[in-house]
Amino acid sequence: MVTFAEEHVDTHVGKIQLWRAGSGDPLVYLHSAGGENTHPALEQLAESYEVLVPIFPGFAESEGLEEIDGMEDAVFHLLDLWDILGLDAPPVMGMSLGGWMALELATRYPEKVSKIVLVNSVGLHLDEAPINELFGRTPGELADMLFADQSHPMAVVMHQMDAFAGDVGKETEIPLELVLPMWKALGATARLGWDPYLHNPKLRGRLRRITAPTLVIAGAQDGLVPTVYAETFAAEIPGARLEVMQEAAHWLPFEKPDELTALVRDFVG
Amino acid sequence: MRCFAFHLMPYIGLDPAYEGPAWVTVPNELYDPAVGHQLYNRYLDELIYAEELGFDGVCVNEHHQNAYGNMPSPNLIASILARQTSRIKIAVVGNALPLYDPPTRVAEEFAMIDVISGGRLIAGMVVGGGPEYYSFSVNPSYARERFREAHDLIKRAWTEPGPFEFIGKHFRIRYVNPWPRPIQQPHPEIWIPGAGSLETFEFVAKNHYSYMGIPYFSFDVFERYFSMFRDACEAEGYTADPLQAGWLVPIYVAETDEQARKEYEEHLWYFVKRLLPGITIQPPGYTSARSLASILKAAGKFMLNVETWDEIIEGRYALVGSPETVADTLIDSLGRLGTGNLLGLFQLGSLPHDLTTKNMKLFAEKVLPRLRAEFPEGSPVYRPSAKVA
Repeated sequence: MVTFAEEHVDTHVGKIQLWRAGSGDPLVYLHSAGGENTHPALEQLAESYEVLVPIFPGFAESEGLEEIDGMEDAVFHLLDLWDILGLDAPPVMGMSLGGWMALELATRYPEKVSKIVLVNSVGLHLDEAPINELFGRTPGELADMLFADQSHPMAVVMHQMDAFAGDVGKETEIPLELVLPMWKALGATARLGWDPYLHNPKLRGRLRRITAPTLVIAGAQDGLVPTVYAETFAAEIPGARLEVMQEAAHWLPFEKPDELTALVRDFVG
Repeated sequence: MRCFAFHLMPYIGLDPAYEGPAWVTVPNELYDPAVGHQLYNRYLDELIYAEELGFDGVCVNEHHQNAYGNMPSPNLIASILARQTSRIKIAVVGNALPLYDPPTRVAEEFAMIDVISGGRLIAGMVVGGGPEYYSFSVNPSYARERFREAHDLIKRAWTEPGPFEFIGKHFRIRYVNPWPRPIQQPHPEIWIPGAGSLETFEFVAKNHYSYMGIPYFSFDVFERYFSMFRDACEAEGYTADPLQAGWLVPIYVAETDEQARKEYEEHLWYFVKRLLPGITIQPPGYTSARSLASILKAAGKFMLNVETWDEIIEGRYALVGSPETVADTLIDSLGRLGTGNLLGLFQLGSLPHDLTTKNMKLFAEKVLPRLRAEFPEGSPVYRPSAKVA
């Protein structure tokens, strides 16, 4: 069992958290709106790679959100981070919001990524199938979108958290430690994706510029990002490969860690 | 002390079959414009009646896409009041500055109301409620930044000779030079409504503005908030003037306590159960980490979570009763809060016109004189020793 070690990295925008595990060639993981610093698939991947998980400004203990006004700033933050970490063109795995960030980097600086793995990525808007509402949801409502199987232990806990939530909650003492991480994560996500909502209208037309081999993965039951988003990425990114996993929703890395790990290992090499 | 009649202009007659929130996504097919026509004119009559009864002022406020308060533009209502009243203060509490782009629009419209009314405007400036950020898609993670910047721009527009150039992060205007300028110099009195954010206390204290407590919390929450506000003023090196604080509370006065409850209760529950749901939605990034703990402490003491009449009365969520009961409770409350401005909601929920005006009249004739005798203008209001168990 691999454990991730916490580091702090001074960047241009402030001190950020970085989680690192394993040895071998680097693999950078860009987290989702949830700000996850690991998950079962990453732990398995750390047996094959040196997995680096930078926590984006505003999430968890990472500073510097006040310097971020959108994806343009996120890209410059990643360029700085690559330099600080001595990375030239690492393979990048991006989950949801992190997938969008990887695409913003790879469309502008294709030479800065060697391979791209997208997992339930956002970044586009498709009129025929809008991305579901992420903000203003209770934890239980989020669980309904994020998990294919509501009996998953994390989904169960999220449903229990509804006792503390807004209009429906009746608990009078709301524990700060329960609220703060998710509250910070959504606030930082809003900075990047409140308006336009989780997308960049220019991104689709720029996907053609990506040169890195790209694997696009979607959970067929994703209640947040419809599968057509993955299909569109796969169609527009030159040479991209599409994998749609059954019995998996948005938080596929928690639901299908073995299958995800096998796909990524096979693709990244 | 000064006493204001506050009106939300709620929608009455929301379809009983509808069970969802009254905010943001409440289907606007449920809004009947013919009913709206009656309500707007009725509510204006009630505000104009406040002048006749001797109130010091009236208050209106801004909310969007909801059944709770139908004033997306309180400035339109205030401009009508500017013409139809002649003496009272007109407090717009307030304009949600981050929603105005460019915010010089607020400087212009407020100046118009001030000039038309002959200098009777109180200019309220507010960050805007959580639901407004869903209704406008303005990024809530910039709410405070945009508010501060818009405030700076408006104040400069009122006090510095134009034209000048304003270059901010969110707003850039080559030529700031509003016509008209406000009649009150250097600018109208500024009120800032707040719901417990530390940043707001500090901002109001620093600028010597007035803090208006956003309502529907139990009384102990307000005691804590106004104590924090007094501390913020002390931290700026001065003692808060009573007129720098205002308490907004629903009030209903009838001949006896029993009659007051009998006449009022169903209309209060329409407000709590039908109009409040959805108001607490907190958009991401809207509150700072340091304010979150303070706000969470109050979350369980919000009127939406109240189930019984006894809780309403004990928590002073609404002051309901005979003139004696309401006056006694108000004298104790204002002393404990130290608020020199009382903002009474005399119409709440589905309360009909006849009961609203009866309430206002009884209050003005039997309660207000006692409050004025107890708290003459210019004398301190805060009475920590008056605390009762």
